[in-house]
Amino acid sequence: MDILHNLFLGFSAIFDLNILLYCFIGVFIGTLVGVLPGIGPVGAMSLLLPSTYKISPLAAVVMLAGIYYGSQYGGSTTSILVNIPGEASSVVTCLDGYQMARQGRAGPALGISAFGSFIAGTLGLVGLMMVAPPLASMALRFGPPEYFSLMCLGLTLLIYLASESSIRAIMMAAVGVILGCIGQDPETGSSRFVFGIYDLLDGIGLAPFIMGLFGISEVLLNIEKSLERRSIFQAEIKGLLPNWKDWKDSIKPIIRGSVLGFFLGVLPGGGAVISSFSSYAIEKKFSKHPEKFGKGAIEGVAGPESANNAAAEGAFVPLLTLGIPPNVVMALLLGALMIHGITPGPLLISRNPEIFWGIIASMYIGNATLLILNLPLIGLWVQVLKVPYKILFPLIILFCLIGAYSINNSIFDDIVMILFGVLGFVMRKYKYEGAPMVLAFVLGPMLEYSLRQSLRISNGSFSIFFTRPISAGAMILTVVMFISCVAPTLRRKREGIPKEETQ
Amino acid sequence: MMTRYRMGSIFWLIVGIYVAISAYQLDLGEFSEPGPGLIFFGAAVILIIFSIIDLSGIFTGQSPKDHQESIWAGTQWKRLLLVLGALLAYSFLFDILGFILCTFLLMVFLFRAVEPTKWWVAILSSLSTLLISYGVFNLWLKVPFPSGILGF
Repeated sequence: MDILHNLFLGFSAIFDLNILLYCFIGVFIGTLVGVLPGIGPVGAMSLLLPSTYKISPLAAVVMLAGIYYGSQYGGSTTSILVNIPGEASSVVTCLDGYQMARQGRAGPALGISAFGSFIAGTLGLVGLMMVAPPLASMALRFGPPEYFSLMCLGLTLLIYLASESSIRAIMMAAVGVILGCIGQDPETGSSRFVFGIYDLLDGIGLAPFIMGLFGISEVLLNIEKSLERRSIFQAEIKGLLPNWKDWKDSIKPIIRGSVLGFFLGVLPGGGAVISSFSSYAIEKKFSKHPEKFGKGAIEGVAGPESANNAAAEGAFVPLLTLGIPPNVVMALLLGALMIHGITPGPLLISRNPEIFWGIIASMYIGNATLLILNLPLIGLWVQVLKVPYKILFPLIILFCLIGAYSINNSIFDDIVMILFGVLGFVMRKYKYEGAPMVLAFVLGPMLEYSLRQSLRISNGSFSIFFTRPISAGAMILTVVMFISCVAPTLRRKREGIPKEETQ
Repeated sequence: MMTRYRMGSIFWLIVGIYVAISAYQLDLGEFSEPGPGLIFFGAAVILIIFSIIDLSGIFTGQSPKDHQESIWAGTQWKRLLLVLGALLAYSFLFDILGFILCTFLLMVFLFRAVEPTKWWVAILSSLSTLLISYGVFNLWLKVPFPSGILGF
């Protein structure tokens, strides 16, 4: 009954014309960036982050969250129609989605992807409502050592799951901590790495940092090569409603994908990408006809698309209950909440229930809106796909420039953004990932605070991280995962030396 | 032979050494009373260690196959430098020329710089972008833009 009462509170908080409008804007932009291969949800959210400073915190988070889960819906459209994933989490949808489109079944592929996303989104919300409140009350007992260990675990998981080199992911996490802690020391007031620049005393701004690293660098990467024209699936898209057989084949993958996605989303470092790949692998294993996968099996669309949407909602659990963002997108949401003076964590539900339950209620509205946006309006998104990049990229650049400027009405933020844009571009060329850097950037000040507090409590002994059960559990997991991602690289290097010498 | 793929780690190694020395000078404090430099020092040491591990790939000859070729092969430098130059010029001229003129010039340049576009398309696209962005950010979100020396 409590949940229903609280949900009612959430709905009453968001049934305001303004907040509903921001919810719609969020899911609309989310679908748009999901459809457009040139820009992702992180870029779009960081671009719009400054514009949320002047609206209410609930409206801000509702809009930014809408962009995130909306992009999961939109990402599938390009995978199915163009064979280019709009989002990394939709990569796997290309395998069977595009094949279905080639066989004249683009409609059912798009339909099951939207329905699957809706069902998974709804199931994910139920999970969020069930898991978050008890976890938050448990987290009230957490002290600085627990927070420090959990943040280390989150960072290590992200490193463990890095798509490129783990060694380089660790390096980027270290750089992220350094960059995140630049500015005035909160305890002693001494300035750290500000080089006499007054604007740096408050630290590097989150929005220009991310906009540069993801927005500008993406544009630079796209324009350095010839701008290719995308060939779009030309046939008329009809029959968006899947038939009885499609439903029969898809319902179990949708449910399995939802459960798997939610729990993978909850894990720090996990998220939509891993859950969609895992779901595809599981469905192939469960299928009586695994040979059909990759040739247009509807299960290969239904499972992963459901999983990535459920993961998008599961990711809210650690953010809203512990105040620890499990991925870059949640780090951005954390930044947005903190700018409004709201600290996500175990006290959020009791101190700001309208924010917590308002976000949940908005997701119900958002998911329903997305269903409408993605099915009857599919023609509109196909048209959007035809916008050439030479028209798109100046718009992205301009919104980045204005977005960064509008934070402090200072051109300094634009310069910071351009510098990080160049850094992000070079990093991508040399295969350094930006995600660990951004997460560490956001977690850096919290890491520093909890480390210093923990050491003070223990009088300088690091054993405090191993003597308290939750902290010890998280630390042991961190150490095990850290070793398991570093050890194979070291072993390969050691084995490489004699081989080199013999040559 | 050193692959270009590894060159980035030399940069991060230098950054790590610089941060470690500066953090030491900032005051590391004691473990029981950590100073403002401790977190930087810890992160810098991690950066140095893993940069060295990454660089050791030079001696073992390990580098992913797809990274053996030049990272910059096929890069259209002219485009990149033009866009970056335009961005920096925008930042430096923004307060002088004002939002409207500066943004209009930047948009016309960007619409034409990367791939040839007809003048009238570039000007029309720039004008409409300018109007929309001015409406959204200045009129709706109340972001104050500089008017510049021309007064608009």
